[in-house]
Amino acid sequence: MHKADDPHTWLTEHGDYLYRFAMSRLHNEELAADMLQETLLAGWKGYDKFAGQSSLRTWLVGILKHKIIDHIRREIRGRNLTEAVENDPTSAYFNANGSWSEAPRAWKENPEELFSNAQFNATLKSCINKLPEKQQLVFRMREISGEESETVCKTCDITSTHLHVLLHRARHALRICLNTNWFGRGASS
Amino acid sequence: MKHACREISQLASDSLDRPLSLFERLKFNIHLAMCKHCRNYSHNMKFIRKITEMIDTTNYGEIRLSDEQRQRLHERLDKSTE
Repeated sequence: MHKADDPHTWLTEHGDYLYRFAMSRLHNEELAADMLQETLLAGWKGYDKFAGQSSLRTWLVGILKHKIIDHIRREIRGRNLTEAVENDPTSAYFNANGSWSEAPRAWKENPEELFSNAQFNATLKSCINKLPEKQQLVFRMREISGEESETVCKTCDITSTHLHVLLHRARHALRICLNTNWFGRGASS
Repeated sequence: MKHACREISQLASDSLDRPLSLFERLKFNIHLAMCKHCRNYSHNMKFIRKITEMIDTTNYGEIRLSDEQRQRLHERLDKSTE
């Protein structure tokens, strides 16, 4: 019953972990479950390639990572991922002469300490979830999955210049969201 | 000098994704030395990098497969491994 190469056992033992991993990158329950299924099946079919050098979980995570990248590549092929360079959402924060119209606030908190605060963690996640689709996609790939810029560009079929614009907009939007929902609460600049 | 803040804000983000050219680095560092706002901004960018880097699977601890999802996955695995 408890065979090492049984995907049912994998689902029981690693299902939640793999599902969470997929959710942190895709933020879509149905999709995350699909990726999990594909991963378990691919692992089952390719089990003879599992050398046992890493843990089974690590090996399955490796498969899942590829599945997610493949999915994103398929999903956005032919879709226009470019975001107009005009209508720059960051422009509202600058005067016509390019100086700040709203001075950036200093964040004095310690990131590690802050991160262990569950309430802050929830705020951060909700801010990320609110990012516009394209920005969110590249931001999750780059920051949460930790992919190299080059991989993100290739997967999404965008130029590096465009990637940098999208990432800057995403970080800028996160900064505003965190200021409004966290740092702004009674703190002075 | 003033004109630069907007451009510097992009460089503050870019520096997290690509090596800046020598010229960009000079411009960036000289500007930051003189401009507190851009220093704050650049720090905010790095701060965001740090906290999002810490997000990993463990931070999604509250997320788990529902019984229904789990059941469905078992069924789909049965079908595919028959």
